[in-house]
Amino acid sequence: MWLWYSWQSAAVINTDGDVIDMEINDARFSVHAAKERLQMIARGRLPPEAQILAERFPEAKPTAHGSEALPEFEIPQPTPNQIEAADEAALLLAKEGVAISAADPDRRMEHLLRASDELRTLHLTMEARLIEWIGLFLPSARFDGDRTQVAGRLSNVASLSEFAAQLEVDDAYEQPSESEWKALHDWATMVANQRRQLDRLEHAIRLSAQAHLPSVSTLVGPLLAARLCVEAHGRSRLARLPSGTVQVLGAEKAFFSHLRSGTAPPKHGHIFMHPWISRSPRWVRGKIARMLASKISIAARIDAFDGTPMTQEDVDQVETKVEAIRKEFSKPPRR
Amino acid sequence: MGKNRRIRPLSDSVLMEGRNLWTINANPGVAVRGESLRKFRGVEHRRWDPNRSKLGAGLLRTRNDPSMLLPSPGSTVLYLGAGHGTTISHLHDHLCGASNQHRGRLVAVDLAPRCLRDLTHLAENRPGLVPVLGDARKFDAWGVLLPSRVDWLFQDVAQAGQVDIFLSAVRRFLSKDGIGLLSLKAASERHQEGTDHDIFASAIAQLSNEVELIEHINLTGFEDQHALFVVRRR
Repeated sequence: MWLWYSWQSAAVINTDGDVIDMEINDARFSVHAAKERLQMIARGRLPPEAQILAERFPEAKPTAHGSEALPEFEIPQPTPNQIEAADEAALLLAKEGVAISAADPDRRMEHLLRASDELRTLHLTMEARLIEWIGLFLPSARFDGDRTQVAGRLSNVASLSEFAAQLEVDDAYEQPSESEWKALHDWATMVANQRRQLDRLEHAIRLSAQAHLPSVSTLVGPLLAARLCVEAHGRSRLARLPSGTVQVLGAEKAFFSHLRSGTAPPKHGHIFMHPWISRSPRWVRGKIARMLASKISIAARIDAFDGTPMTQEDVDQVETKVEAIRKEFSKPPRR
Repeated sequence: MGKNRRIRPLSDSVLMEGRNLWTINANPGVAVRGESLRKFRGVEHRRWDPNRSKLGAGLLRTRNDPSMLLPSPGSTVLYLGAGHGTTISHLHDHLCGASNQHRGRLVAVDLAPRCLRDLTHLAENRPGLVPVLGDARKFDAWGVLLPSRVDWLFQDVAQAGQVDIFLSAVRRFLSKDGIGLLSLKAASERHQEGTDHDIFASAIAQLSNEVELIEHINLTGFEDQHALFVVRRR
């Protein structure tokens, strides 16, 4: 025996498709009421009509409308008004679902991280132009040591001569025109602001990663944790990836070239950013990357499946392992 | 221009002009995705770009009567894998028309909130379009929106097991003799060994077991690695 139910009606039917009992609600539903009913169904709960029948026929198996298991029978149809209410309710539900999707930290982190990548690229290009631009007017100025301060300092002076005096270099032989100086000054202000914006973005990424991926953040730092999570398309996917994939995340080009044409496989992707790998001698990087990737996988699983977050102690243990690998292979292999 | 620009109506609101498809704009003055608008005999039409719509491509490629691929205006249809609503908008032009004059219902299911964002905007100006945020495989969550079986069903989901999902949807929601269209993306069946050709062949075998396979339309050129299967429920 089956208990068929839809959002406003329910029926008990036997295996031959005979309707034994029926509860039909032909009331006019408000959109709000219809929405509540649809949500009920989506969550797998029984609407009131079905609950009444379930009490009357406890042996009937509750089965939602449309199930393949149901025998063919004459399905009670909703009224045109009800269909209209359900359609409007469905639209409301869809809108709500879309709005709620902003609660997904994966999506938010992706925007933060991509925004910071894009801004950084832009910033470096604009900064390079700024240095070249000033260098044209002040050929004796050298900024090799510290380019990052140039924009900020230039945005705080009123003229190029003042800037030259600050730098203690010869004033420009050929001065920029008034309008040209304004454009140059604006450019410098923008570059200086980008620094601040970048810092703010990174701060936001750090906070977001520490909340969303506490273990991975403790293990390899929040910025790398965020990058791995975004590249893996979300925390739950990162947790499900084999650690061999985590190891080469971000080295897709090399990896697929390896698969296709048999070039050397990549030893590390984004995790190369970590000083344990990038500051190690070339010949142990692959070994450390392999070990670290497996630890990241464990950490990601802890985060995704509500485990006890990793502590500094756990990280120290991993570091000991890194040291052990470095020590064991302190000499480059003989070719 | 001239001779080969034969204008041929596929339905009251779908025109085939040479190799171009046009539908009467149910939301006049508005292009959904920047497609061209043009008046035929004083009525504004939107161009249906076959490169962006597998149904549009199927209409141009089919060897049978293309109007067979379209549902009858004013009916209730199910569309799984609605995407950003390009095909949906043209289907709505055909099925519902301006202010839903044909009284059609187009239940459009998609899993991605990003897609639903575009669909809900579309639905605001197109009564009859019912967007659903849900998994095409979890029929129980939204199946109640289809109180009776539909005569036309379209599926375009790019996930593994497309044929299984399609057949399940057909069993649940398609009426006898109803037309089902399955857009199959070979690259989504990665677990399956073999070339695209093998994947399509096994899909044909699986479909023929349960439904009458009317046509296998190769969409290469419009959409590579894709095929459109037209079936009729027995």
